[in-house]
Amino acid sequence: MISKRVCVAWFGIHFLFITAVCLAGLLWLVAEGATILPPALDTCARKTELVAAWLLGKQAGAASPVRQAIATYLHAAGIQSGYTFFAPNIPGYHKLIFELNYQDGHVEYESPHFSGKAAALRLDSLLARLADNRYEPLREVVVKMFALSIWRQQPDVKKIRATFGLVTPPSINDFEQHKGESFQPIFSYDFSLRDEQNH
Amino acid sequence: MILLRRLWQKLFEFLFPPATDTWLAIFRVGMGLQVLVYALFLRSDWHFMFSTTGKGLVSRKLGEALTSFDSPLIPKLGWLVTFGQHVGLGEEAVLSIAWACLLCMGSCLLLGLFCRPAAIIAWFLHLCAAESGGLLAYGADNFMTMGLFYLMLAPLPDQYSVDRRLMKTQVGNPRLLGFWRRVLQVHLCFVYFFGGLAKLLGSGWWNGSNLWRSLIRPPLNLLSPDILIRFKYALPILGISICLIELSYPVFIWVKKTQFLWLACILAMHVAIGLMMGMYLFALVMIVLNLAAFGVGIRIPFITLSAAGTRRPRSFPEAATPP
Repeated sequence: MISKRVCVAWFGIHFLFITAVCLAGLLWLVAEGATILPPALDTCARKTELVAAWLLGKQAGAASPVRQAIATYLHAAGIQSGYTFFAPNIPGYHKLIFELNYQDGHVEYESPHFSGKAAALRLDSLLARLADNRYEPLREVVVKMFALSIWRQQPDVKKIRATFGLVTPPSINDFEQHKGESFQPIFSYDFSLRDEQNH
Repeated sequence: MILLRRLWQKLFEFLFPPATDTWLAIFRVGMGLQVLVYALFLRSDWHFMFSTTGKGLVSRKLGEALTSFDSPLIPKLGWLVTFGQHVGLGEEAVLSIAWACLLCMGSCLLLGLFCRPAAIIAWFLHLCAAESGGLLAYGADNFMTMGLFYLMLAPLPDQYSVDRRLMKTQVGNPRLLGFWRRVLQVHLCFVYFFGGLAKLLGSGWWNGSNLWRSLIRPPLNLLSPDILIRFKYALPILGISICLIELSYPVFIWVKKTQFLWLACILAMHVAIGLMMGMYLFALVMIVLNLAAFGVGIRIPFITLSAAGTRRPRSFPEAATPP
């Protein structure tokens, strides 16, 4: 009987966390105006999202043991993020293009890639995160790491220009009219790899 | 007071329905297969993903720093690398051993050999890899962690495992088996309800454009747009159907008459995701979770034989039966 009560208590807490995580994810989408709901609901969603965040200990300081304990549990159970895959809309995909300037003056273009299909999906996930404003402070570091990876393979490259952008695929109607996809740059960095300095 | 007691009783009955361990056997074998496929798929990119010294694409340390920002207590591959350095092993050797261990644990789970330790080690290693991957992680990783987390807590070993044959251990408590199955069932209801709701809030799922975009964007574009365009009038119907099937999953998966139909629709959706978008790991883990949660003891229309080839005990019904 005691073990059953422990199980029930764990069940309650576990699914409370799952509810909070799912609601936080959903409300964030509403608050960002990404859904078909009227904009009047944005503020309300933002406030309710804070309640869900409080429940997950995110309002506490980064060093708070409660926050850390909850975060550890969520990650250990694989419930740290909601289930809003491919929702509410699919905006397009992102591309990172490296313009490689060689010492002899010729230029080549390259994109980061993995050898396996499973890892390619992961790269797509990373690029989607780079486009997210919440990851803005990380962009330069990540792109620099990509550039270093290319430089290790091709040491005679003198300069690299990395351009990150959104590729909008054609709609069904556009495709029928033989229109192709469009590329809209979001940010770019110049790296001079010889002295590993970022300009 | 009586009402409260009755409610409490009902809750207990819902959470602890007696069940056989057939679902657990499906869950163990499925998760074992998932771990094996995960390790094999990432074989060629394992060092490229997780190395910090020279070979890595994005340094593992970045992913680990991001994870540590959430909590420094979350397991990471960096812990294993640090431990390896104490015993004289380099980063590459530790990463190779971790990959080999994951493969080995997947095989053990598949066979049912050392079930509990294999489930714990597989969960730990996969969690380390998923958290160290950080920015490279995606939905399939969360579901794998979730599945392995439940598997290591569930009352292993099941009757079909090698462990049970070798050690002649007793059958697990049917109520506890039912409880862990219930956890998995309720969790899936949350997954599809919130997934369906979020999709319904996007205009692109109502007019089919989201389905079109998801199928033509690299690296998910296995189907040629020229083939897809032939089915352009079906895309809005398919899009809305996906949303409605997901949103109503927590209702119709419990109703005896619709249970089989909903499970079949969800499985078909995941098979399609796997074949048409190349998301094999995601598709496999979702199929395993659904089959383990609702596949055993389900009533197949027009077939009166009990439980689709499962062993149904005479003394109690299966946990999939609605409360």
